[in-house]
Amino acid sequence: MSTTADPLPPEAYVVALAGLDGMGPARLRALLARWSPAEAWRAVLDGRVLAESGAVDGERTTAEMERGWARRAATVEVAALWERHRRAGVGVWVWGGAGYPTDLLEDPDPPPVLFHRGDPAALDGPRVAVIGTRDCTRTGRDVAFELGRDLATAGVRVVSGLALGIDGAAHAGALAAAGAPPVGVVGSGLDVVYPRRNARLWQEVARHGLLLSEYPLGGPPTAWHFPARNRILAALADLVVVVESHDRGGALLTVDAAEARQRPVMAVPGSVRSPASAGTNRLLSELEHGSVCRDATDVLVRLGLEAGAINRGVDTRPAPQPDDAAVLDAAGWEPVTLEQILAASGRPLGEVVLALDRLEADGWIVRRGGWFERVGGTHR
Amino acid sequence: MLATVSSAILVGVEGRPVTVEVHVSNGLPSFTVVGQPDTSCRESRDRVRAALLSSGLAWPQRRVTVNLAPSEVRKHGAGLDLAIAMALLVADGQLPAEAVTGRAFLGELGLDGSLRPVAGAIGMADALAVEEVVVPPGNAGEVGLLARHLVRAPATLAEVVAAVRGERPWPPTPVAGPVPPAPPGPDLADVRGQPVARRALEVAAAGGHHLLMVGPPGAGKTLLAERLPGLLPPLSRDQALEVTRVHSAAGLALPAGGLVERPPFRAPHHTASAVALVGGGSASVRPGEISMAHGGVLFLDELGEFPAAVLDALRQPLEAGWVHIARAGVRAVLPARFLLVAAMNPCPCGERTSPDSCRCSDLQLARYRRRLSGPLLDRFDLRIEVARPDSRALLAAEPGEASSVVRARVAAARAVAAERGVRCNAELTAEQLEHLAPLAPDARDLAERWLSRGLLTGRGLQRLRRVARTLADLDGRDGPLDAEALGTAAHLRVDPSFTVTRLAG
Repeated sequence: MSTTADPLPPEAYVVALAGLDGMGPARLRALLARWSPAEAWRAVLDGRVLAESGAVDGERTTAEMERGWARRAATVEVAALWERHRRAGVGVWVWGGAGYPTDLLEDPDPPPVLFHRGDPAALDGPRVAVIGTRDCTRTGRDVAFELGRDLATAGVRVVSGLALGIDGAAHAGALAAAGAPPVGVVGSGLDVVYPRRNARLWQEVARHGLLLSEYPLGGPPTAWHFPARNRILAALADLVVVVESHDRGGALLTVDAAEARQRPVMAVPGSVRSPASAGTNRLLSELEHGSVCRDATDVLVRLGLEAGAINRGVDTRPAPQPDDAAVLDAAGWEPVTLEQILAASGRPLGEVVLALDRLEADGWIVRRGGWFERVGGTHR
Repeated sequence: MLATVSSAILVGVEGRPVTVEVHVSNGLPSFTVVGQPDTSCRESRDRVRAALLSSGLAWPQRRVTVNLAPSEVRKHGAGLDLAIAMALLVADGQLPAEAVTGRAFLGELGLDGSLRPVAGAIGMADALAVEEVVVPPGNAGEVGLLARHLVRAPATLAEVVAAVRGERPWPPTPVAGPVPPAPPGPDLADVRGQPVARRALEVAAAGGHHLLMVGPPGAGKTLLAERLPGLLPPLSRDQALEVTRVHSAAGLALPAGGLVERPPFRAPHHTASAVALVGGGSASVRPGEISMAHGGVLFLDELGEFPAAVLDALRQPLEAGWVHIARAGVRAVLPARFLLVAAMNPCPCGERTSPDSCRCSDLQLARYRRRLSGPLLDRFDLRIEVARPDSRALLAAEPGEASSVVRARVAAARAVAAERGVRCNAELTAEQLEHLAPLAPDARDLAERWLSRGLLTGRGLQRLRRVARTLADLDGRDGPLDAEALGTAAHLRVDPSFTVTRLAG
């Protein structure tokens, strides 16, 4: 069909196709199986998709949707769109094309196109996904941070979703280690930072590692993008660690995706009274022996990697005095108010207040507003 | 013929003497009121006429002019009815001129000639420099508190006329017998556990420190706030008179003896308008909730639900202890020294029992945070988190200390403050703090550590010192403030949880 030399590479048309509403991975794959990218684009423009492609129809594509595509496509300048991606430093990998990650080639539901920013070499090496809930506890965040840091130090690529909470903490840890490069997989266009609060983290991951997305520039962080993003996370990881998850957390969807792909799953045990660990604790009761993740060493052993390389660091905090230690014990491992510490320790207000201040000064406890949170092990 | 009678009107909570002049002359029958009467005042014509006729007196079929002097003040309300009726009777020759000399008359007339109580009678009577005041029976108690006038309290216009004519003696003024003590409000003994909140209440009562409680629904914030007035010492005679004056002016029901002796507790709903809260109104200046809470407690539940403009209107009275209301024709200064207690949910869904546990979006939390301005938040010397008490703790805990025990400590601490020349420690100035609340070496170390880590500002330290002074006073400790007092003060003034953002990555 190429009568004259097309100045645009085929990827440009894939980018344009991927930007259409309702053009999910399955439909895009079906189109690209039937036509070359440029031909598929023309078919969309002419409204011939339904008539000429049975596979797309099998995906319940409606005539109305097809008309919508044609209308939308008529307004798209493919060359300008392609230029925009090139300028932004965003690379495009098409399934089966050069550069496309081999782990995803054989995937049951591979992304037909992947947008990337950063160093593609970040994928070369062992990869572990560290994931979990956004509504994490301080403990969970610290564990995720330490896992990320220790895994990166040991040369493992930390793969995560750059969400708030556990995901972000794992990447922050990996960046702090300045070890193996981190890999972030996100659910929006690479220029649409979501959540905004993690904007710096995005930039750092792109600078020191690799950012991946299934969506072209400007793609909104639509709700269904995130479960879809999770399957890429699972497929790219050699192993998935869930740090904290609520009983029905989104992290458990990633676990399902990982199990469907025969990726081993590990989970960090938490307090049976912590709702943020309800999902992970249940997971642990179902997972096979050896799925408990206490620290990075457990992960490395499961992967069959050398585990001796982790430099755990020494806890430099001065040991609390016996009275202070009793207050620290009363604080437990979940955020508590002063009232709760008083009730648990049975000591008078004045004493507890001074003990808390000493513990805070020595780094055993952090205060956020009226809440106290115990700090475990070495921390940031 | 002309007659003049003394009476008074109310501006804010203060009375202002008014001379009622009535002129009756020949001419077409008419009745004109001049001297800026408002509608309710102008309507007194019909009430006075009906009352005269019901009482067996004649209504002059002549030209009647009523002048309310001074004429630059707008006259509001029905309190001048009796004075107008009396002046009319004198001007019409039905009463001798001596009948109204040396006397002042206050009260609204019913159509049957009965005398109805008016709001603010004590304030109005106080403005009258006469020997004898005639007031409705319902106002006799409060006016008698002034102990300045001979108080006459006839029930009807007919009784007044009979008495001034000397036909019958004045009916006996109801004498306030021994007043049974007011029922002692809810008791602190009902509160189980919650040692921090109890301590904060005690400190608030002793030092006059404003208190903000943040906690989920069911944590007992309202229960706690309602128990605060019971911890305050009874009002002194002067304070009680001042509070009675405000309550009378606001039209609140006064206790049996007429005197408000217990600190009031006002809890306006968050839909209250700025005028309802701080006072105002177009014709007269009515006291708002903050004035009705004068000498007592103003409890604002769901503080975050109050409109921002309403909350900001509180800032000046909070600092000054009074509020200056100015309207086009009238201005008044209303007393408004109250203890502010506010309660708030930690977030819109109310379930943020730990910093990262609730389901509100970041946007919702940020919006909630903006509802309260920093300056208002800064006015609270005490800011505590109130958690839902553990159910087992509720069952196991001993009944807490009774209000009477705490009240004794509060009274002792207030006595110490009074020796320093302030009502309570919240009023200590920066200079007074320097020599009344010096820091002991250990407290100084603590403060320096906080200052150097940016946890505290110099201004914040001043506020902590006031609270720490109160804490030490409550424990009966003189001398420099130690680290325990300062540390406890700091923990009773935490950043409220809604200012705490969730953990980012």
